[in-house]
Amino acid sequence: MDPEQNNNVKNNGAAAANGSVKAPTKDPKNKKDDKKDEDLSEEDLELKQQLELYVERVQDVDQSLQKVALESMRQEIRTSTSSMTSVPKPLKFLRPHYGTLKSFYETMPESDMKKLLADILSVLALTMSAEGERESLKYRLLGSEGDIGSWGHEYVRNLAGEIAQEYSKRVNEESPVNEIIELVEQIVAFHMKHNAEPEAVDLLMEVEYLDLLAKHVDKANYRRTCLYLTSSARYLAGPDDISVLEIAYAIYTKFEEYPRALQIALYLDNMQHVKQIFTSCPDLLRKKQFCYILARQGVSFELDEEMCSDDEDREVLQEIINNTKLSEGFLTLARDIEVMEPKSPEDIYKAHLLDGRASAGASVDSARQNLAATFVNAFVNAGFGQDKLMTVPAEAASGGSSGNWLFKNKEHGKASAAASLGMIDLWDVDAGLAQLDKYFHSNDNHVISGALLGVGIVNCGIRNDCDPALALLADYLDKEDSSIRIGAITGLGLAYAGTQNEQIRDKLTPILGDPKAPLDVIAFTAVALGLVYVGSCNEEVAQAIIFALMDRSESDLGEPLTRLLPLGLGLLYLGKQDSVEATAEVSKTFNEKIRKYCDMTLLSCAYAGTGNVLKVQHFLGQCAQHLEKGETFQGPAVLGIAMVAMAEELGLDMAIRSLEHLLQYGEQNIRKAVPLALGLLCVSNPKVHVMDTLSRLSHDADTEVAMAAVISLGLIGAGTNNARIAGMLRNLSSYYYKEASLLFCVRVAQGFVHMGKGLLTIAPYHSERFLLSPTSLAGLVVLLHACLDMKAIILGKYHYVLYFVVLAMQPRMLLTVDENLKPLSVPVRVGQAVDVVGQAGRPKTITGFQTHSTPVLLAAGDRAELATEKYIPLSPILEGFVILKENPDYREEA
Amino acid sequence: MPTVSVKWQKELYPAVEIDTTQPPYVFKCQLYDLTGVPPERQKIMMKGHGLLKDDSDWSKLGVKEGQKIMMMGTADEIVKAPEKGPVFMEDLPEEEQAVAVGHSAGLFNLGNTCYMNSTMQCLHSVPELKSALIDYPQAGRSGDLDQSSHLLTVATRDLFSELDKNVKPVAPMQFWMVLRKKYPQFGQLHNGSFMQQDAEECWTQILYTLSQALRSPNSSVNHDTVKELFGIDLVSRVHCAESGEDSSETESIYALKCHISHEVNHLHEGLKHGLKSELEKASPSLGRSAVYVKDSRINGLPKYLTIQFVRFFWKRESNQKAKILRKVDYPLELDIFDLCSDDLRKKLEAPRQKLRDEDGRKAGLKLKEKKSASVDNDVKMSDAEPSNASEESSKATPVEGLASDKNEQLTGVYDLVAVLTHKGRSADSGHYVAWVKQENGKWIQFDDDNPIPQKEEDITKLSGGGDWHMAYICMYKARTIAM
Repeated sequence: MDPEQNNNVKNNGAAAANGSVKAPTKDPKNKKDDKKDEDLSEEDLELKQQLELYVERVQDVDQSLQKVALESMRQEIRTSTSSMTSVPKPLKFLRPHYGTLKSFYETMPESDMKKLLADILSVLALTMSAEGERESLKYRLLGSEGDIGSWGHEYVRNLAGEIAQEYSKRVNEESPVNEIIELVEQIVAFHMKHNAEPEAVDLLMEVEYLDLLAKHVDKANYRRTCLYLTSSARYLAGPDDISVLEIAYAIYTKFEEYPRALQIALYLDNMQHVKQIFTSCPDLLRKKQFCYILARQGVSFELDEEMCSDDEDREVLQEIINNTKLSEGFLTLARDIEVMEPKSPEDIYKAHLLDGRASAGASVDSARQNLAATFVNAFVNAGFGQDKLMTVPAEAASGGSSGNWLFKNKEHGKASAAASLGMIDLWDVDAGLAQLDKYFHSNDNHVISGALLGVGIVNCGIRNDCDPALALLADYLDKEDSSIRIGAITGLGLAYAGTQNEQIRDKLTPILGDPKAPLDVIAFTAVALGLVYVGSCNEEVAQAIIFALMDRSESDLGEPLTRLLPLGLGLLYLGKQDSVEATAEVSKTFNEKIRKYCDMTLLSCAYAGTGNVLKVQHFLGQCAQHLEKGETFQGPAVLGIAMVAMAEELGLDMAIRSLEHLLQYGEQNIRKAVPLALGLLCVSNPKVHVMDTLSRLSHDADTEVAMAAVISLGLIGAGTNNARIAGMLRNLSSYYYKEASLLFCVRVAQGFVHMGKGLLTIAPYHSERFLLSPTSLAGLVVLLHACLDMKAIILGKYHYVLYFVVLAMQPRMLLTVDENLKPLSVPVRVGQAVDVVGQAGRPKTITGFQTHSTPVLLAAGDRAELATEKYIPLSPILEGFVILKENPDYREEA
Repeated sequence: MPTVSVKWQKELYPAVEIDTTQPPYVFKCQLYDLTGVPPERQKIMMKGHGLLKDDSDWSKLGVKEGQKIMMMGTADEIVKAPEKGPVFMEDLPEEEQAVAVGHSAGLFNLGNTCYMNSTMQCLHSVPELKSALIDYPQAGRSGDLDQSSHLLTVATRDLFSELDKNVKPVAPMQFWMVLRKKYPQFGQLHNGSFMQQDAEECWTQILYTLSQALRSPNSSVNHDTVKELFGIDLVSRVHCAESGEDSSETESIYALKCHISHEVNHLHEGLKHGLKSELEKASPSLGRSAVYVKDSRINGLPKYLTIQFVRFFWKRESNQKAKILRKVDYPLELDIFDLCSDDLRKKLEAPRQKLRDEDGRKAGLKLKEKKSASVDNDVKMSDAEPSNASEESSKATPVEGLASDKNEQLTGVYDLVAVLTHKGRSADSGHYVAWVKQENGKWIQFDDDNPIPQKEEDITKLSGGGDWHMAYICMYKARTIAM
């Protein structure tokens, strides 16, 4: 609005009263403005006079004159075009007469003419209406219900804004909204036709009438609509987010964009939808792709005849869901990148780069350092099936002076060493079981325990009809020796995580009630059950764990391992939000020693991955308290912040800043949890500023803070081979060369960073950061909770808790396969993903890309797109296994 | 008789017949033929049934035609723990851990005793002194030795053995008490706590006491261990320019002094400076006091050459020993041939020639190994590249040190083995730290109770010129050669 133009006006008493003339009219200025009036070009002057004439005519008693004037006025307004930055001329010249016309309108009798005038007033109100008056809408409703788009885009947008306000007002007053909805329908139709899907969705969300959307989406705009819906769902409070996603799901299925629909179904954890997708999609090849998506999410899903009628086909599909080919795919990637050669811990430590401080006189083995080497070896060679310590051929091992590496570990260390075989043969059940077999016959309980755990690790994420893990481990559950029992229990937990296998429940729940079972056995049983029934809200299991918690004696409750019981309980409700409430109520009756701790754990698990800001605030509030000594519940509260906020990038960045504050003002029990929370927020995503914070904390005067920071450095760099973190850790290894505990942590972190020789990720989010794999998150959370008391658990004799990270380990690859599921190398562009939500046109989705040929590694935040037209991917998201179909329209360039 | 497919490891046996009338053990024997896995090691898994037991009934299992069965088991040897398990460092007694760690323990600071700690750490690095102390009798002492000196010697011996035995830092309580008793000046209090002292004073006093105590009891040969190890014989020409008087005198000292003036940038220059002094004394011929110039030369070399940087001077205005921060470089390998008297030079000629030959040969050998080495390299090698040479000698020295062979000849070439540094602005304040080369050739910085490994090239960076640690006393070990 140009205030100077306002001042041109001779009669503007009404307009001024209207309050929309913003610039005060000053006398000295008036002169100048008069002059300006004459500056108007002849054309404009003519238009102005014309319009003034129309205004006068409208007020004429002669109906026909009135009508002509109104028609012409409408004509003028509609035909005028203008740029975005200025008001169209007719509107500008009519502004002074807005008040006149308004008052005249009131005096008019009901007639078509009156409606016509209402239309014009509605448009004029676009620039004249006072803030909050919503006159545009008012006159629109009074006017003739003509084509809304004829008045232009800006008018529609303005109207939409006023509708949102009016709607909420009417809902508050409980007055009818029907007429508004009619208008909404028109506007939505207009927006959807004119590439303004976000505006349409916004308006519908404001008036809570999203169902209308389905009517207006078509082939051209459903993608953008659904993209906007799914991205906005993250910022909506429940239950709106669910309904928004349901609509997106409905639209996707309508347009047979099944992979996207499947993703939403998985996000909603709605197996009914998954089933529906399988039954409604007729194409076998596409179903195979669905199976790959299901396998990556780690859900256990049984296909039935309805979903796939042919037995053989079904078997193939089921095999994909069961992940049986994961190992093969991973090895294909490894061979392509040429990293098959096994690495030894020394290759990772790179001690030769640290002159002067190379460990002096390695003549004597240190049990702790050997154990660290065991872990490093296991993580680095994970999934490759060969290494330089455990799987070396027997002759070489027994013949050499070094002897068997297994026996270079002490007592419980042997358990971790034996279990490391499972890690090395990860996902390759046949080879892994063959390797582990001989250790079952050992006479050393620790070795047997490790072998049992190893069976669990090797089966992690892989399902098999014969259930080898259950068959092998079941017999050991009731053994006398508690280390064997823990091995078997944990093994089952890892192998069947997320399956909700009832056989496991029937076998494990009695242990919880066993009065003779030692605390550590009970604690690991609770965690194993939590993993198997992760996010299931299973009441029976919850009851069993609750009773086990209530049965604990006062002294047991003080033990560090007791923390695993509430954790097991929490895992049952992972990401299930309100469903936890009943159990949370029960937990209030617990012994006060554990009550608060339990409450925090339950809450953090239940809201994990939701991005619920209120919960983050709740946890921050808990951390603000300064406590009497001995209270430990703030640890899980800090982790809770990370677990909740990790859902989306904005919240994540805010959480990182909040954690910085906690670091400054928090007490020791908070400070030691902060690095872990940072580690979870950026897991496998080495952000430089977080790296720097952790590097600073790794030199903290408080050993526990330093240890947590070191482990977290490993977590944020997990599977990335990040050179900067590797360098930091190398320096830390010389800095802490004398402190065995810290050095152990540094070694473990080094193992994490080089996990799978840099081909793995432990980020629970996948599919363009849309889906959260509950089992992955559960594995990480167990590890982090164990790290809250490093000394008693990881540095004590329960170091095999580190293997829980296996649940989160996944190849960070894009492997394209042909229609026979054989690897197929095609060129792809890999670059930083760009957020294209709500952007006009067809924006680029990646930036700074490079062209590679598959299989290819994807870093955090990377996105890939096919660089050839020859094939059509069956999944819009190029991650993990993607089936390519030949493009029938493709013509080879001559 | 249903036919099933059996999966074992990566292999698939597609058609195995099951005789359902026979117990499963028979089936296992069938598999034994196929796979070579003994039946008792076979674990057979079927969908929904868990493990197949030897006594289960086929009919109840309901085996279907074409069913998939998984078999696990290997014919591999069962792993047995080795007869003799490995020994872990964590289980070792402390003294053995010390060997594994590769350096001896640190010393706790008992309240401004870093001067004493660093002195003891430096002296501790002299194996000959250690062995001499071990031979020192607990009770029997030579008559002329006073009680407190005896106690101090015993305490030194005990402290050295403590240091060798432990990994964790040692508290030198006993030694500290005895030292204060013998030399009350170290027990000075300031504001109720012990004062910082000059490490050089401590060093001198301890060596003096030890030299008293470690004299050979049989007085027939005046066998003075400390003198043998550290004593430097000087021959000096005292010349008076005025009267033309010229006299010669000899003396024996325990440390060479490196005087630091404006011209001195290098240890060698400082040493030369220190050997020349002016003194005023009564001239018999002139009948009054006159200025004499004393020009000393080394006439007898010790096994361990101690060099003191004269960094402190008494500053009257501030009433304290102020420090000269000037940077004075010192080498890892010191050749003091040109500070020696003519007699000594003659004696050194032959061993030095031999040492050169030896070095040349080593360099030559290396050249032969690396045939591609350029001529450039050749020149450097024969120039006795300092770091290279010192490395080799450090490997060789322990052996030579142990064998007190009379045939071992001094060469006038010395290798740095210990540096005592000071950080701060005056001798009675700041912090003393010892930097000691271990037997394995590694350098350790003993900062009281905290031993920190260091790089060899960092040792020469302690030459001063800032507020960092700077060398105050250097100890060089003679490089000897068998003749």
